[in-house]
Amino acid sequence: MTKIPTCTCGENEPGRIIFPCAGQANTGQLSNLAAVELTEEGYGSIACVAKLAIGDEGLVKSAMNADEVVVIDGCPLQCAKKIALAQGVVPAQHVIVTDLGIGKGPSKSYTPDDIETVVSACWRGVGKSADLSDPPGRQE
Amino acid sequence: MTKIEVLGTGCAKCKRLYANVQEAVKSLGMEAEVFKVDSLDELIERGVMSTPALYIDGTLRLSGRVATVDELIRMLRG
Repeated sequence: MTKIPTCTCGENEPGRIIFPCAGQANTGQLSNLAAVELTEEGYGSIACVAKLAIGDEGLVKSAMNADEVVVIDGCPLQCAKKIALAQGVVPAQHVIVTDLGIGKGPSKSYTPDDIETVVSACWRGVGKSADLSDPPGRQE
Repeated sequence: MTKIEVLGTGCAKCKRLYANVQEAVKSLGMEAEVFKVDSLDELIERGVMSTPALYIDGTLRLSGRVATVDELIRMLRG
């Protein structure tokens, strides 16, 4: 008997790397969930921003050679973008979750609609028009 | 009216392509009918080996991946 495939999906696009900030707040957690969903949908491949922060040679090289780097930050602190820029990696798209109308904390809760908001924003390319220059550092 | 068909068996990638097509059509303000085709028989009949697949007015334009909204807008304009 012929086995009928349940899914005939093609591969993910190899040229796009996604760095979520994965911060502790609801918005940071949302950035991570959105990046996972985007990976499942074939948008690109999620990568570890902490590994980028320590300057992992392989990951920095992969990010440099990627067709497109997408950074998803949870809030205006833009930690993931700062990490990327510090390693010389310039994002082609930068999405900030709080800019999409999702409030940061104090609750850790989020809804499936919140994830969809972030995921669809990336697919629409809303962060491509964002200012991708070096953000101002925090005042100590 | 443009006829757009999204072929897929209903997984995350197929759903996203369908959503992106709707978004692109909305952005362009074009008159189009968007259909979701999830019948495996239909996929086999059309020779689609890799999903999701996109047909515009009966022509296969994309297969095996999801296009971004921008890419779809360019495709629909062309």
